[in-house]
Amino acid sequence: MGKLLIPGLTEILKTIVTSFFRFVGGSKSPGYGSRLRRDEPALWKVSSNQSAGPSAEPDPNVLNCRVQLTGQEDAFTVEICGSIHATSDMHYTIVQISITDITDGIPQAQPVHSRVEQWQIQDSPVFVYNADLGRLPNHVTTLSDWISVARLGIDWMIFPRKGERKLQFSTSILSRWNGQELACATSTFTYENPAFGYIDLQENSRRTKTLTVALAFAVSAADNKLFDCEVELIKNWARNNIGVSANSRGNRHPAESLKLAQASNETKRELDKALDEAVGFFRDGNQLDTYKICKEIVEIAPLAYRYDALELCLRVAQADGVAAVEELTLLKDLANWLEVDTNRFREMMAKILPAGMHEEKDVEVILGVTSDMSKDKTRKHLNKEYSKWNARVTNTDSEIQTQADDMLKFIAETRSEYIGKS
Amino acid sequence: MANIVGIDIGTTFSALAVLNAIGKPEIVPNADGERLTPSAIFFDEENSDVIRVGVEAINSRHLNAERSVRWIKRHMGDANYHKNVDGKDWTPVELSALILKKLKQECSAEHGEISDVVISVPAHFDEVRRKATMDAGTMAGLNVIGIVNEPVAAALYYATTREVSGKVLVYDLGGGTFDVTIMNVKGHQMEIVCSQGDHALGGIDFDKEILKMLEQGYKEKFSAELINSDEDRAKYEDEAEDVKKTLSRRKTAKKMLYGSAGNLKVEITREMFEQAISSLIARTDILVEVALEEAGIEPSGIDKVLLVGGSTRIPLVQERLEKTFGFAPETAVNVDECVALGAALHAGLTVLRENPDAVPAGISSGLNDVNLTDVCNHSYGTICAPVDKETGRRVVQNRIILKKNTPLPCEASQMFYTMSKGQTEVEVTITQGEDTAPEYVNKIATHKFELPPDRPAKCPIKVTYSYDVNQRMHCRFQDLESDRVLEVKFSLDKNGEISQSDIRQKAEKLEHLKVE
Repeated sequence: MGKLLIPGLTEILKTIVTSFFRFVGGSKSPGYGSRLRRDEPALWKVSSNQSAGPSAEPDPNVLNCRVQLTGQEDAFTVEICGSIHATSDMHYTIVQISITDITDGIPQAQPVHSRVEQWQIQDSPVFVYNADLGRLPNHVTTLSDWISVARLGIDWMIFPRKGERKLQFSTSILSRWNGQELACATSTFTYENPAFGYIDLQENSRRTKTLTVALAFAVSAADNKLFDCEVELIKNWARNNIGVSANSRGNRHPAESLKLAQASNETKRELDKALDEAVGFFRDGNQLDTYKICKEIVEIAPLAYRYDALELCLRVAQADGVAAVEELTLLKDLANWLEVDTNRFREMMAKILPAGMHEEKDVEVILGVTSDMSKDKTRKHLNKEYSKWNARVTNTDSEIQTQADDMLKFIAETRSEYIGKS
Repeated sequence: MANIVGIDIGTTFSALAVLNAIGKPEIVPNADGERLTPSAIFFDEENSDVIRVGVEAINSRHLNAERSVRWIKRHMGDANYHKNVDGKDWTPVELSALILKKLKQECSAEHGEISDVVISVPAHFDEVRRKATMDAGTMAGLNVIGIVNEPVAAALYYATTREVSGKVLVYDLGGGTFDVTIMNVKGHQMEIVCSQGDHALGGIDFDKEILKMLEQGYKEKFSAELINSDEDRAKYEDEAEDVKKTLSRRKTAKKMLYGSAGNLKVEITREMFEQAISSLIARTDILVEVALEEAGIEPSGIDKVLLVGGSTRIPLVQERLEKTFGFAPETAVNVDECVALGAALHAGLTVLRENPDAVPAGISSGLNDVNLTDVCNHSYGTICAPVDKETGRRVVQNRIILKKNTPLPCEASQMFYTMSKGQTEVEVTITQGEDTAPEYVNKIATHKFELPPDRPAKCPIKVTYSYDVNQRMHCRFQDLESDRVLEVKFSLDKNGEISQSDIRQKAEKLEHLKVE
């Protein structure tokens, strides 16, 4: 029996998924930079560009900007100095700041997104900060000292990727009357982003879903029987979560829709082919290193995705009506490896895979009674479980009623066994 | 004089008590002179208009099980249960009404007209089952003025007939249900602290264990089934009950089994029986502990344990209680009758509170100093959709507003918020149950609450639930900005209960049936 390397299976899916997403996700973030572009030429627009680190003295004839990490390193402070040319004295102005990630160079620049609706461009997550700058006293106003114009909370922003990022801050001074850009300056700043970026998250999401499918197959194959109902359930999940239907992405030109539909059908065919290959792999008695898969999921996926993964695995174990001992053992391991809280796992189990379906009843999995519990702790724990299920026994859903009745019996038997007559 | 009556409609036996001229409750014997009437029904084969209730129904069941019904209380409120006889589907409410009709007519024959009735129910009965029980009374032609929890009724009778003071635990193990209630008693002042109940634990479950032993013994001897028909089952169910009762008095019980493969004499010892019911007894132990935990009391804090219900005669039950509390439980009152007697007292108190002029002076003075504070029997909540802190996803959840075991009358409010911009209505759901997961609670009413248009999200809605001393619930949903209010008249609109007009129609039909 061979041992399939994780990438072996997942790469099959990944290849399809990557090409698929490249196609459907082809449109770049709409509106990126669109608010910064001005049709009307700025007659007096003079700009400068500065980089972080030791730099030359600012040029007093143009607008200069610089960025610093301030506070508990939880905000960027943007400062400006130099000259701003307005069309008149006492011109009312606003400051607008946008941030671009240029780590991979200007051609591959990616916008920084905003978590806060207030700092988003309409209908787009792209970050743009706007604030009143007040009236400029003169036609040409020169700021001889650096003055702070914005303090931008880092928690407002979502960067494209994790790690060291080269950020370009574009600061514009705009006329409040007509939006005309009066001056602008850019400054680059290198920032170590500790959190996943939005591109990472998209990739991680795809990767997690692919790994989830792999785990689901592993659960299905745990008892060496890959039932058709289990396989069908996994395939449907993969189609719904990894595939995207052609008409699910809003209004399109008919030609574009047709093209997308064709591509979508092609993707579906390729996904189905990959899934069939995966089925064949498991039917041949091969296995996956589920621990490694879980470890990777924990590294890249938020808790909600781990719940989704475990939920699919529980549904697969439930699909044929009986959860084999091997399936239950693997599910218990998966919950542990995916770092899902024991109580949460038992709640999910109770809803999706009731004890009545378990080939063998495991008091730890079903009731949460562990071998290290004292008699008194076990008694109190069982009392809590009893209260919970006793309240469910008059449920209007007959399936829940039966489940609650079974659980009450099982709790009483467990108590007799573990606590005895004491 | 019109009579004020209390009825205990039990899983296996029912009883009726009437308040006498000085406000003391008395059991009214049935036409056979028995103080308890078996809760059994038999539809006569010869005359379809005749329905037999009581001992005769039990005996007839052995001859034609198809036309008989027992333990109907277990099915109260179950919309899916029907007993089909001669093409008619009888619901649990209608079947219970037949038992109540029998009790009513035999009391009326002896004492005259019944004016007001309180019927007892297990403490853990939910709103659907309580309403179903009241409907059964109305259908039987009774003026049901209230419902009382069985352990409360028993304690009421106990406290008015004995000198009691301190914390009392009422241990009510009946034919089909089990309740534990803890209360503070000081003379005639009674304050319920909490109640816990198990809806499927009672004498018939002990009988089932004995029946299993009989069937198993027969199969081991003859490799054949003892029970081959519904009539066989009916017969041996009663034999099992008989064995159980014998084992409460003696150490062994003997039975002759007449099966198709041959006859077998079996002997069941008390030890065998106790072994067989050990997990059921474990359930009673758990419920006692849960009630004590809920009340925040150690076993040593309990001053008296009051036994109620026929199944408390099982020696093991009494031994376990003595071991837990360190003293023997109280057996001074009749465990089979105290619920009906207490229900009659409760009926007197209800009439005294709501219509004092209607209560004869003797009864009024007899009940004058009795005061009972009850609690909310269940938790009541509403469905909402908060954001899960762990996952950041919106989840549908049941939020409890009025907590179980809150002293009555009570009121509680919580604030909720609209979810989206321009939201013009909210679906409000009233739930009953202890869980946060919506699938595990019963949705007892759902209404649409219309809101003003063109508003932002997160507009506050105040939800207030209150519960009065008559165990009636009121719900109020208030949109704070517009001051619009939705008052929910608490009516049960599904799950087995029926409308008032239906009840009247069915009551008229029952009127023509002869219940003997």
